[in-house]
Amino acid sequence: MFSMKKAAGVSAAVALVLTGAFSVAPADARSKAPAKTLTIWADGQRAPNLIKAIGTLSEQTAGDYVPGYKVDVKGYASFDALKTAIDAATPANGPDIVMGANDWVPALAKDGKLAQFTLSTSAAKNFTANQLGDLSYGGKLYGVPLDINNVAMLTNDDLVQTVPTSFGAMVDYYKANKVSQGLTRGLCVAGGGMSWGAAGVLEALGGAPYAMSGGKAKTTGAPFTVATFANNVKSLLLNSDGTPNGFFTDSDASCKDDFIAGKVPFAIIGNWEWKDYVAEGFDMGMLSAVPGVKAGTFGAGFGSVSGAMLTSFAAQAGDDNAAKSFLNDFFGSAAGAASYEKYEGRPPANKGAAGIASPGLKGFGIAASKASIPQLGTFLNGGAKDTTGLVLGTKAKPGTKGANVPAYWDALPALWTALVSSDSTLRKDPTVASQLFANIMAANAANSVNN
Amino acid sequence: MIIIKWIKESFWRHLVAWAVCFFALFPLYMIVLTSFKKTTSLQVNSFLPTGFSWANFNSLLNNPNIPYFRWMYNSVVIATIVSVVSVFIGAASAFAFSRLRFRGKKTGIQALLLIQMFPSVLALSAVYVIMDRVHTFAPAIGLGTQGGLILVYLGGAMGVNIWLLKGFVDSIPLELDEAARVDGASPMQIYWRIFLPLASPVLAVVTLLSFIGTFNEYILASLFLSDINSRTIAVGLQSFISGEFESNWGPFAAGSILTSVPIVVVFLSLQRYIISGLTAGSVKG
Amino acid sequence: MRILSGIKIAVIAKIILVSLALAILGLLMQSAFMNGDVQIGSFLAVAMVLIALIYFTKISIPMKFFLPGLLLLITFVVVPVVYTVSMAAYQYKTGNKLSKPEALAMLQKSDAFAQVPTEPRYDLKLGWCDGKYGDAKPVAGPICALVTDYTTDKYFLATADKFTVVPKNLVTFSKLGLPNGVTQTGAQPAWEEFYPDEYATYDKLLNATRFKYDKPGMFMKAEGYSVMAVYAARITYDSKADAFTDIKTGAIYKDNGKGNYANTKNAKDVMTPGWRAVVWFDNFVALFTDPSISQPLISVFIWTLVFATTTVITQFALGLLIAIVLQKKIKARWLYRSIIILPYAMPSIMSILIWGGMLNTDFGAVNNLISLIAGHKIHLNWLTDPTLARSAVLLVNLWLGFPYFYLISSGALQAIPAELTEAASIDGASGGQTFRRITLPLLMQMLTPLLISSFAFNFNNFNLIFLLTGGGPRDVLGGASAGATDILISYTYNIAFSKGTENFGLASAISILIFVVVAAISLYGIRRSKVLETFA
Repeated sequence: MFSMKKAAGVSAAVALVLTGAFSVAPADARSKAPAKTLTIWADGQRAPNLIKAIGTLSEQTAGDYVPGYKVDVKGYASFDALKTAIDAATPANGPDIVMGANDWVPALAKDGKLAQFTLSTSAAKNFTANQLGDLSYGGKLYGVPLDINNVAMLTNDDLVQTVPTSFGAMVDYYKANKVSQGLTRGLCVAGGGMSWGAAGVLEALGGAPYAMSGGKAKTTGAPFTVATFANNVKSLLLNSDGTPNGFFTDSDASCKDDFIAGKVPFAIIGNWEWKDYVAEGFDMGMLSAVPGVKAGTFGAGFGSVSGAMLTSFAAQAGDDNAAKSFLNDFFGSAAGAASYEKYEGRPPANKGAAGIASPGLKGFGIAASKASIPQLGTFLNGGAKDTTGLVLGTKAKPGTKGANVPAYWDALPALWTALVSSDSTLRKDPTVASQLFANIMAANAANSVNN
Repeated sequence: MIIIKWIKESFWRHLVAWAVCFFALFPLYMIVLTSFKKTTSLQVNSFLPTGFSWANFNSLLNNPNIPYFRWMYNSVVIATIVSVVSVFIGAASAFAFSRLRFRGKKTGIQALLLIQMFPSVLALSAVYVIMDRVHTFAPAIGLGTQGGLILVYLGGAMGVNIWLLKGFVDSIPLELDEAARVDGASPMQIYWRIFLPLASPVLAVVTLLSFIGTFNEYILASLFLSDINSRTIAVGLQSFISGEFESNWGPFAAGSILTSVPIVVVFLSLQRYIISGLTAGSVKG
Repeated sequence: MRILSGIKIAVIAKIILVSLALAILGLLMQSAFMNGDVQIGSFLAVAMVLIALIYFTKISIPMKFFLPGLLLLITFVVVPVVYTVSMAAYQYKTGNKLSKPEALAMLQKSDAFAQVPTEPRYDLKLGWCDGKYGDAKPVAGPICALVTDYTTDKYFLATADKFTVVPKNLVTFSKLGLPNGVTQTGAQPAWEEFYPDEYATYDKLLNATRFKYDKPGMFMKAEGYSVMAVYAARITYDSKADAFTDIKTGAIYKDNGKGNYANTKNAKDVMTPGWRAVVWFDNFVALFTDPSISQPLISVFIWTLVFATTTVITQFALGLLIAIVLQKKIKARWLYRSIIILPYAMPSIMSILIWGGMLNTDFGAVNNLISLIAGHKIHLNWLTDPTLARSAVLLVNLWLGFPYFYLISSGALQAIPAELTEAASIDGASGGQTFRRITLPLLMQMLTPLLISSFAFNFNNFNLIFLLTGGGPRDVLGGASAGATDILISYTYNIAFSKGTENFGLASAISILIFVVVAAISLYGIRRSKVLETFA
């Protein structure tokens, strides 16, 4: 184990940073500065894996990755604890680099916790514009993309032998086999929840959190055509009397268990949990994006990246150049990203490291390539005000002026409840509910103008 | 006659106990089912086990990356220190509030109550900032250390414990203190020689409550203890369910069950003090 | 008189303990002052003086009992609370978290110059020029950068005041194809790369160096050790006017009094990061004027009171019932006791979340159990129907809290002298009468403070609401910002701490409001129950 780590470390070091300098033996008496330390904060999962890739502080030699530096990785117990810590961090104890979620970027940048980062030309080639956009705010990049997070729909090959090509085909299968197979639902969300994970269902039915144009989210106009979406909901998710047909429900409870037990034919699963399904004998060749209403189209799910971000504390500690170098030379390079993702086991954002992806992850990659939208915190996290009183109300019955407009994360689960809840008192007219949701997302988009 | 007497005196007690035990155990049974399931989700559809697997316990106990017993040890040590020390310090204040006469007593008690009513979730970052500053000059008790965490816990436990103890202490009869006072004993001597022995059942209850509270605390602990070997069990288990995307319920459920064991053990070992009470010994003696 | 016999040991023990405490605090104080933390140092000094005064003189006997607890309480509870409360006077939210000097320094650093998007991003190797081979370290540079434009395969050497094109044939390359040296020919300066340990040594110098670029108004700056970017001035700061001027657009940004430099012509155009500006009562005004905060406040407040009161009553009633039931030595009592303590022993996150799963309408164990008993399928919408959700919250909280009340009730029952109850029963009182007339009043005297304390805890029982219902069911699409089970603290949290739009200042203002209300209620409760009068 030790020798492997060492070998990985040495090979990465040679390949990455010191190619030139190592070939010259230091013969003269230039100053010998004591090793400085670069500090990285990560969550409980990433920290140990990064340590496996680069070695512990005592295993490293100064200059392995950044000239004159050792790299110290500090792991917080959980992702939430890491977020709390970085929110409370001060120049005295703050890290140089923090590995976190892309939707932390807007708030952390506004709070002055992050510093602008410039990707080298060679490293920039390894990433897509969307990925870099995920880690940017106000036109400035703040870090290097680490791994891709997305979901894909898995077809239960115990029940259905071919991946369906349209949403309607799935509904038909459900209706035909509901009783005979004892199906609890047709499609459910096993990974990612009813807002993040269910985005693909929203998009497949013609909805969207924001309208995309040329790879960028639009800040004006309606996010989607309400009438089309509402009609699709009526014809595919509801019976003729307006009650839900049971194909898709507003709860993700028990989805994974039911899918594995053969009681759900289609489930949306996360790329962090596919091994659980392989262990149950499911075929990852059956992964796809959620099929759209029209055959051959797909509903786009979120494809987001986590990032290693440069903090403003690095400059205050005089470590910013070293931190920037580490970001570029380690996470930005194919070799560095591969040496880390080998342990992390998530699909790497770095194209150069994509070779290590397993069959399961390839399925997610294909799903993402078919249909994927970036996860943009400023559009999704809310914060808009209902200035007209009409976002949440109607002309006949205006709402409260100045009320907070809900975030996407709260609004989409509420939309599902309004459309397909088993509780009849909670269901609303699909057109009205869809219009409200569209208003909410349009208001949030408009609020993103200044961001 | 005996049966009627038994029904009158004991049977209904058993009946109530059974009902309450069912209420207490129903969710726990679900946790046990979850912990023995192969999947990692939280949902349980059936009351009967659908499959049996040690996988969750295995991944908890036999994983080199999860120093389970180290975490447990940390928790027991921290919770023991905090509960014993805080009750010891708190008892002194409770005694003073209950037995001594001084100006501003009423105000003091009210202030003690009020400070507990502040929504403490909000003061979290202030505690962090203070301990961060302490860390710069005293690394042993600052942020990131168990020592620092213990100090913060002690501070936090003070209000509750003094308040809890005060309620009990008021009920301990005054006769013995008065007798001692007549004998010329100082308040300190009364406290050490008479009060503490008398109050031991009460102290045991509060120690137990304090122990459980500290043992299960995770918000402060997860902020303080980042090093994997210094974590408490609550923080360690928490890391299973607060991944970026994934919640690993199986090992968390398994861990929760194992975690409750030391608490029950502490409870059972303190039971003698909690139950024996003042009645048998001191008041009569 | 036996009591006085141990007096010497006690005095010696006291001296040792107090000296030890003073020594430890003294060391800490010294260390704090040496590290420049005057505030904490002074705090420790005051603590030391107090300890010495209290324990070596007879100034105040009660303080001898209070001081250790008091010091801990002040340090870790009172100070953070005061700090938090003081934040209510600030514009303290996402985007406004720094102090003004910090924010200003950051803006000057990050916005004074901007990367020129039309210029290429160069690769960089740091080193020395002018034949400094084997020299002792250069005193003040200049650092000489070998800059590569891979897209055009061009090479340059740059220092602070020179920018030279280097013909490719003079550049030497490593095996991996990276430039690692420049050969000297004629006037062309030679170049040698930094030694590994020189990077850290000259980091400050590197940060201070602006490398010359061959276009007017632009310069290059190292972005780490391997990237060189081209910058141009973007904004200037005038310290006299405390204003920024955008060079290109001419827009002027001035302190808007709310923690940001804002465009004088467009108030919405602000520079970030901002700082925590003192806004005095703005947050309190917002509390009452912002409709999305103030509107549901009354209904949330009423439910909070109902929730906290009902919780305390039900938990106490059940806990006391079991304490009474198990007071008598019945068979398997230890087993009952151990089982009853279990809900309290289990980590509450686990329990609350498993309850959440159990209460699911279609898949939950609770509905399954009810259906089993009823003999047909029953769908109770535990978490989506407002009334049922409130009942569910109370039920789960009962489960979570009754063992606590069992513990303290059984402790309290034991503390009631048996003579009292025995005497009553000799006098011919029935069990029920004894309980009502003697046991219960005594219990209430002991436990009222705890009931109040429990009320306060549940008033702020954030975890339960947050994990079980998230405050819901909430009519999100209808614009309701409060859910049926939202209590004040969870409601505050949703408004003030939602993802990316944290508003700590506003949250502090609300917390003060909550604090005042709950304190008033509790004090009223204490006065009425006359708890304090028993010893005042």
